[in-house]
Amino acid sequence: MTEWHEKRHGLEQRIADWTSRTGFTISVRDDLGHLNLRGDLGSPGFLAAAEETIGQPLPQAPNTISDGDSTIFWLGPDEWLILTPAEKAANLADQLESSLSNQHAATNNVSGGQIALTLTGERVREVLAKGCALDFHPQVFTEGRCAQSGLARANVTIGSIGGDNKFLVIVRRSFADYLLAWLDGVA
Amino acid sequence: MFLIECPWCGERAETEFSYGGEGGITRPAEPDKLSDAEWANYLFMRTNPRGAHQELWNHAQGCRRWFGVERDTVTYHISRSYVLGDGVKD
Ligand SMILES: [Zn+2]
Repeated sequence: MTEWHEKRHGLEQRIADWTSRTGFTISVRDDLGHLNLRGDLGSPGFLAAAEETIGQPLPQAPNTISDGDSTIFWLGPDEWLILTPAEKAANLADQLESSLSNQHAATNNVSGGQIALTLTGERVREVLAKGCALDFHPQVFTEGRCAQSGLARANVTIGSIGGDNKFLVIVRRSFADYLLAWLDGVA
Repeated sequence: MFLIECPWCGERAETEFSYGGEGGITRPAEPDKLSDAEWANYLFMRTNPRGAHQELWNHAQGCRRWFGVERDTVTYHISRSYVLGDGVKD
């Protein structure tokens, strides 16, 4: 699937060219699987079962991230995005499915539909701010925060994780080439 | 930039939201028992006030949740945002 994807979009070549020109680094995180989890925090047992299965806390504060073996983004009061090593994603989805089988909950493997990009560089905040109305000031968009918004009109989930000038941007696969073309123009 | 406060995400740019019409309208419990005029009134008639207006908004590009807003139709001032079910009408 990875090869097919790279051929289709030519992402790798575009990224290599771009990195050498801008001093920015961007990497396609094909190593990550994406699971969407829905469930009711008010339902007894949901939180404990989900956290035990994943092995780390679900972030409950809006727009925050829980980082561990997986990276979990708050998407809504009853919705999370779990980024986990690609080879483990299907297995984790099955485990969640069974441990939450008595809950009003849903686990969906959305790895095929979206892709994560890691953006790093001194001016990463400036670049993001160019196409997004969120406040990217280092004292506002601090590490461990995330948000869903529009970046150059594409729907994205953005998270600050792993350092001051490092962001994860999650976008639909079909928008990835467009978004890179836009980043190319801005950076 | 016009900001709207999502009850979960806080203040965000207006472009992240979509408008869902007038809020605080309860679907009749027994539609069968209504006259055509009463049903039409529920479906189509809106208050369109000059001043405080109850509205539904969706944080479409953010957390994708619906919530209630009280907005002044003259000044655009938003006096409150609230989770639905936490008091659509006072
Ligand atoms: Zn929101």
